[in-house]
Amino acid sequence: MTLQSFRRGYERFLEGICIVLMAALAAEVVAGVVFRYSGHSLVWYDEVATILLAWVTFYGAALAVLKHAHMGVPEVVRMLPPGPRVAVAIVAQLCTLAFFVLLAWVGYSILEILAADQLVSLPEVSVAYANSVIPIGAVLFVVGQLLVFPDVLREARREDGPARGHA
Amino acid sequence: MTGFLVLLCVIVLVLINVPIAVALCIASVIAMITTQGVASLPNVPLALYQGATSFPLIAIPLFILAAAIMNTSGISHRLIDFCQALVGWMRGALAQVNVLSHMFFAEISGSAVAGVAATASIIMPAMKARGYPGPFTAAVTSSTATLAIIIPPSIPMILYAVMAGTSVVQMFVAGIVPGLLTGFGFMGLCYWYAVKYNWPVEEIFQWGKLWRAFKKAFWALTLPIIILGGIFGGIVTATEGAALAVVASLLVGGVVYRELDWARLREAIIDGAVQTGAMMLLVAASALLGLYLTEVQLPQRIAAAMLSVTNEKWAILAILNVFFLVIGMFLHSAAAIILVVPIVMPVVTAAGIDPVHFGVIVTLNLAIGQQTPPVASVLLLTCSIAKESVWDVTKANIPFIGVLLFTLLMVTYVPVVTLGLVNVFYR
Repeated sequence: MTLQSFRRGYERFLEGICIVLMAALAAEVVAGVVFRYSGHSLVWYDEVATILLAWVTFYGAALAVLKHAHMGVPEVVRMLPPGPRVAVAIVAQLCTLAFFVLLAWVGYSILEILAADQLVSLPEVSVAYANSVIPIGAVLFVVGQLLVFPDVLREARREDGPARGHA
Repeated sequence: MTGFLVLLCVIVLVLINVPIAVALCIASVIAMITTQGVASLPNVPLALYQGATSFPLIAIPLFILAAAIMNTSGISHRLIDFCQALVGWMRGALAQVNVLSHMFFAEISGSAVAGVAATASIIMPAMKARGYPGPFTAAVTSSTATLAIIIPPSIPMILYAVMAGTSVVQMFVAGIVPGLLTGFGFMGLCYWYAVKYNWPVEEIFQWGKLWRAFKKAFWALTLPIIILGGIFGGIVTATEGAALAVVASLLVGGVVYRELDWARLREAIIDGAVQTGAMMLLVAASALLGLYLTEVQLPQRIAAAMLSVTNEKWAILAILNVFFLVIGMFLHSAAAIILVVPIVMPVVTAAGIDPVHFGVIVTLNLAIGQQTPPVASVLLLTCSIAKESVWDVTKANIPFIGVLLFTLLMVTYVPVVTLGLVNVFYR
């Protein structure tokens, strides 16, 4: 399997997760309203909705890496001459990677401690399940960042400067 | 002292094009390790997770989703046809249709970019074919699209309300009058141009024609009533209103009109998740940095410094306006709110400025920011769809920005424009 086809498959995979989560979020909030007006409020409605939001956030953020959609300021780097531009692009990539590797590791290590806590409205579910999105999201972010690395390098190397960033 | 070093760290990382959200995280981690040691690291994942679990913010992906369904289900072109039957008799009719249809979209959608996506590919080619100059066509589309964030619902207002700890619904109500003021200002400006350049009338006014267009657009026109009526009537919260918007637009587009385009809808949902991810990661990151900033009381110190220069309310408002106008040129509107609002709130409170009033000021500044390059999300998208040069469109856009600035002035110094309705219904 080539890198290109792996990247496409990875993107499809994250897109699938995001569609399911978005649909679940909309359906869950609607169900919450319907049940409240029918007189059978769902006690877990708010808590599960916010967990779904956090999941959309971190899976969506991992997908946003592949789509170059994270908000940034590429204008300054674009003004540099080609040599320093490549060096700066590599440093920026390494900083981002370093943070998410750290986040994945720390996020994973605290799951064990959180496993003892339960959700407020659903006592049979452990908080660790909800929080698992942090280490998983961080790993997905790192994989995405590695996959777009060749793009970033190619953009930085162009003689006339990168065509457009992701403002 | 370390507070300013942390800010410096953020600025350097952002300037070398680390995503803003990641730059905030890295600076917070460095600050936490230096002040509290490695043992404080488990707070990083906990704070990021907590930061992303805010109930009012659920409205953001849901409103993005609702606008996406609307754009892919035949609701847009029915609204445009209805507007044409309503104002097609006016001089410069297509420009008026452009403004009016954005005023309708603004009541369903909370994102100006979604507004451009909804109308630009229908109205702009029609305007150009009727002889309107290309840069003017793009300018009127781009400017009127910003009505989406001034007229409720509005994604920047939701973000502001959460960041400033105020009510989303009151923000929405406060946006009504400034939104209408801006919309009618745009219509007046278009009329003036139309008379000056003798732009064409499209059709004579006929009640029969208006009635037929109204019947076709009837279900689309019920959407704003359902959504805003539900929220303002206190039947649902703003977040639930957003979910209602999703269901209502699915029903109208999929069941009544049967024009839902699933392939485009799939793309739109993915795009919504990506936008949510990018925006919410920044929210979570600012919550992480907030832990540290609160500890060193940086916002309070900035407030004290500013109040020592002046404590005149009008002067502080003027300074904040200039500050946000400049910020809006260089930052995406969501980023500007998430980064700046928590820092300036102590100044706002200390000067006795109402947080809802200030929220509309911020929203209008950032609406102008979406029109002013280099970072101007709405203007750049419109230019790329219209295939016009950013420079030409920006020049044609100056009078429209003038209208927005006039509204900003009114909103800033005549509080009744924003707070009038809020006081009547909520205080």
